[in-house]
Amino acid sequence: MITQDALIGYVRTALPDDVVSVTDRTGTMDHFSIRVVSDGFKGKGLLDRHRLIYQALNEPMKDGRIHAVEIKALTQDESR
Amino acid sequence: MSEQSGSIEETIKKETRENPILIYGKGTKEAPRCGFTKETIQFFEKYGYPYQVIDVLNDMPKREALSKITNWPTLPKVFIGGEFYGDTDILDEMEKKGEVKPLLDRIFQKK
Repeated sequence: MITQDALIGYVRTALPDDVVSVTDRTGTMDHFSIRVVSDGFKGKGLLDRHRLIYQALNEPMKDGRIHAVEIKALTQDESR
Repeated sequence: MSEQSGSIEETIKKETRENPILIYGKGTKEAPRCGFTKETIQFFEKYGYPYQVIDVLNDMPKREALSKITNWPTLPKVFIGGEFYGDTDILDEMEKKGEVKPLLDRIFQKK
C-alpha cells in the first residue's frame, strides 16, 4: 500500500517535469494505473519509456508497497 | 553457480526461439493466476495464431534471469519472433496503431 502522493514523488525523481495521474484499480492502493506525461519521453520508444518509470518505482515495487502497475507514458504533444 | 545461470539463459533463448509468440507469466493458459497474465492471453486469443504460456510464478531464478535479459521488472513478459515486446501496456498501444497484426503475419509467414 502506498499513497498517491508518495507514488507520484517516486515518478518525479526520474521525470521532474511530468504530470502524473494515478488511478487505484482495486481499492486496495497497491494495484495502480498511472498516466505520465513528460517530454522526457521524447525520442524514446515505448519499452524505454516504461523502463524509466519502472526504474523510478523500483523501491516501492521491490518492497511490495506496489503490487502491480499499468502504465501509460506520453509526451506533451501526444497527450493533446 | 554461474554455470547454472548460464543454462537458464540458454533455456530462455531456446524457448523464445522456438515459440513465435511466447508469454512468460503467472499460471497456465488454462488457469492464469494473475490478472495481467490473463489479459495477455485474451489479447493473443483474438489473433488466432498459436501462442505459448510458460509459468514462471514459482521459478525465482528464471524470473530474475528474465528481468535481467529484458531490463524489465514485471510479469508477464511477451516475446514475439524472439524479440521482447513488454506487456499489454505496450501491445495495446501497438494495436491502436495497427502494428500488431502485420507483425504477427510477418512472423508466421516466415515459419
